Amino acid sequence: MLSYILRRIVATLPVMAIVALFVFSLLYIAPGDPAVVIAGDQASPEDVERIRQSLGLDRPFLVQFGGWVWRILHGDLGTSIFTNLPVSAMIGQRLGPTLSLMIVTLMLTIVVAVPLGVVAAWKAGSLIDRVIMGFAVFGFSLPVFVVGYMLAYIFALELEWLPVQGYTPLTQGFWPWLENLILPAIALGCVYIALVARITRAAMLEVLQQDYIRTAKAKGLGQGGILFIHALKNAAVPIVTVIGIGIALLIGGAVVTESVFAIPGLGRLTIDAILRRDYPVIQGIVLLFSFVYVLVNLMIDVVYTLVDPRIRY
Amino acid sequence: MDRRTVLKGLAGAGGLALTGLSAPAIAQGASARTLRFVPQANLANFDPIWGTQYVVRNAAAMVWDTLYGIDSSLQPQRQMVESEEVTDDGTTWTFKLRPGLKFHDGEPVLSKDVVASLSRWAARDPMGLMIKALQQELTAVDDRTFKWVLKQPFPKMLYALAKNNSPCSFIMPERIAQTDPFKQITEYVGSGPMKFAKGEWVPGAKAVFEKFTDYVPRQEKASWLAGGKQILVDRVEWIVMPDPATAAAALQNGEVDWWESPIADLVPVLKKNKNISVDIGDPLGNIGSFRMNHLFAPFNDVRARRAVLMALSQEDYMRAIVGDDTALWKPLPGFFTPGTPLYSEAGGEILKGKRDFDAAKKLLAESGYSGQPVTCLVAQDQPITKAQGDVTADLLKKIGMNVDFVATDWGTVGSRRAQKTPPGQGGWNMFHTWHAGADCINPAPYTAIRANGDKAWFGWPNSPGTEKEVASWFEAKNLDEEKAAIGRLNKAALDDVVYAPTGFFLSYTAWRKNVSGIAKGPLPFFWGVSKSA
Repeated sequence: MLSYILRRIVATLPVMAIVALFVFSLLYIAPGDPAVVIAGDQASPEDVERIRQSLGLDRPFLVQFGGWVWRILHGDLGTSIFTNLPVSAMIGQRLGPTLSLMIVTLMLTIVVAVPLGVVAAWKAGSLIDRVIMGFAVFGFSLPVFVVGYMLAYIFALELEWLPVQGYTPLTQGFWPWLENLILPAIALGCVYIALVARITRAAMLEVLQQDYIRTAKAKGLGQGGILFIHALKNAAVPIVTVIGIGIALLIGGAVVTESVFAIPGLGRLTIDAILRRDYPVIQGIVLLFSFVYVLVNLMIDVVYTLVDPRIRY
Repeated sequence: MDRRTVLKGLAGAGGLALTGLSAPAIAQGASARTLRFVPQANLANFDPIWGTQYVVRNAAAMVWDTLYGIDSSLQPQRQMVESEEVTDDGTTWTFKLRPGLKFHDGEPVLSKDVVASLSRWAARDPMGLMIKALQQELTAVDDRTFKWVLKQPFPKMLYALAKNNSPCSFIMPERIAQTDPFKQITEYVGSGPMKFAKGEWVPGAKAVFEKFTDYVPRQEKASWLAGGKQILVDRVEWIVMPDPATAAAALQNGEVDWWESPIADLVPVLKKNKNISVDIGDPLGNIGSFRMNHLFAPFNDVRARRAVLMALSQEDYMRAIVGDDTALWKPLPGFFTPGTPLYSEAGGEILKGKRDFDAAKKLLAESGYSGQPVTCLVAQDQPITKAQGDVTADLLKKIGMNVDFVATDWGTVGSRRAQKTPPGQGGWNMFHTWHAGADCINPAPYTAIRANGDKAWFGWPNSPGTEKEVASWFEAKNLDEEKAAIGRLNKAALDDVVYAPTGFFLSYTAWRKNVSGIAKGPLPFFWGVSKSA
């Protein structure tokens, strides 16, 4: 297993290299010029050119790309064109809020979606099943920002239970941290909960038809034991896969959620950087996201072996 | 149902629900010594000479002081300067600094700091460049005295040092001001009334300013950038909120105290909340515009440009930008900010009265236009440009033009508008923008009105008549001469259609009623602003 994990980690390197080349090329050919944005409306073409030179944007593609790769190999993601701060420091500032949001959303999803899916499968065809699946369709169809505004209106403006916006680091206390994340996590988690609940139901329905489940029932095992110990464990592979794939959904959704709830996370940093053509920041974030995605896939593969002993690498 | 509709509906419902309610616990628990402010945009960098965005200028005005400050009557007043002398021939200016000025690091403000700061500013600012071109020497005479010797008189010297247009001539310590003006500074030490808390800065999210206790305000009453800048809170926190509905909700909820630029859609909601005050923020407002490329057909022919003006309805543009609130806009048959001393309507008849599409079509045909595509760049991520672009597309179609509507983002427009290649080869025919009214009060900061061909702003208009009157204004010795020059300038610029003004519009600012002392002006002034519990 250890050698497999190591092999997979090594295998991420070419993937990361391809991502890096792709992102760099895309930004190189994309319209827009940070030097123009920096120079402002009053600038002469000479000023713009001087800024372009000072940023190294006038150099050939291969020179720029080579320099960037060289710096990355030395652990330097570069410096933001606009803030003049190291990209790694900017990502570091934003990692906490995004990570917090994703963790709370993930926990919420697992706690809500998996039991809902199990119950829906158990009561397949009943009113309970239809209600749960109805909610799932509803959750899947509602845009994140609509859910966000509705939650903010009800729980922040109307009931005054939770804040509208912002983020408090965990170091300032658990509740201050959590209260800022509850509404965003619900908004972001809606789609995710719907997806996981539906997949759980489908996987469970298949497993519940198996002979060993009938045997377990015949032995007189309790319903809870059958559903959550015997059936769920065997239905876990597709559920774990969807949870993993869903992390990409979370990253995408975080961009909107962070904007709606004014959370200073990586999603907002990404949007700001793209709109301003802050190339080093965009490249740094995309690399990070791709690395996280590769890592999550690796973790899923490892989890497979835990939930299904038949899987060996 | 689109996102904006949902947003408006929910924010509206929230506002109605909150009307009549007292401030929530969150607000009551917050320190009255901290003012939480939602700025118009993200403070992405903090070098007011390197980055000329308004939001940088607004933040910098707290941290860095200026030698002179413009007041609400648009006159330069002494700020860091105690006195000045100019020789009879107008070529040698000698300035003396006020005593007791200190930087945030405790060091005294000396003439050498001023010399270095003015040198850096003059390398980037249009007026500074003009002074630099005339400069013989800029030297420190002693610790508090410095001298600027010119080859020719520059009557607008004090205005240049006082103006609020970006970049302002902020004074920094010499070691910082010696930074290449095309590179960013890395230390944010000023002598202004507030210090920048660099450690708490999260670009794109938050910036914090703390009261500078050693600041010595002038004795005069504060007026815009002039007078005594008394800071009445301990901290000012800038909280960046990209989503207007969130900002509206946060203001209603008491999580923030002051929202600089509420969007017009949400203002009715805020007005209904008894805990919130709403008023015009900047009386100098904004001037909407689109620029035509004078280098290529069809707009290289003045008849085609005039044809567009003949059909242009400023009301259509203004309603598209600000909605139905008629208090927020007025027609602008000229180029200069309404309500300011140099405002002129000379030559503005072409923009007044009923729009004559037939005459416009006829004039367009006379210009030789034969249906070639007109590449119209419209940034969709800026509500003002998007609204104007939609109106322009309709206008051009009505007079028989073939519109190539390029929907893109502001970053791309910013880059593409600099292209001088033909429209079919990466160039363009039109793009939309707007100008702060504060930049359009006279020709000094007004880059967009210049018509010196290749050196002019994007579109590169060439109008010798306009340029002649710009020079006349710079040479004017009194207000009457200035007014006469601007009248002629306005007419020449409209005759040649340097650019198309689409109207004058204002915007609101909103704050909670426990905040007082907010002054109307071209930027948010934090001196004199206090907050009760």
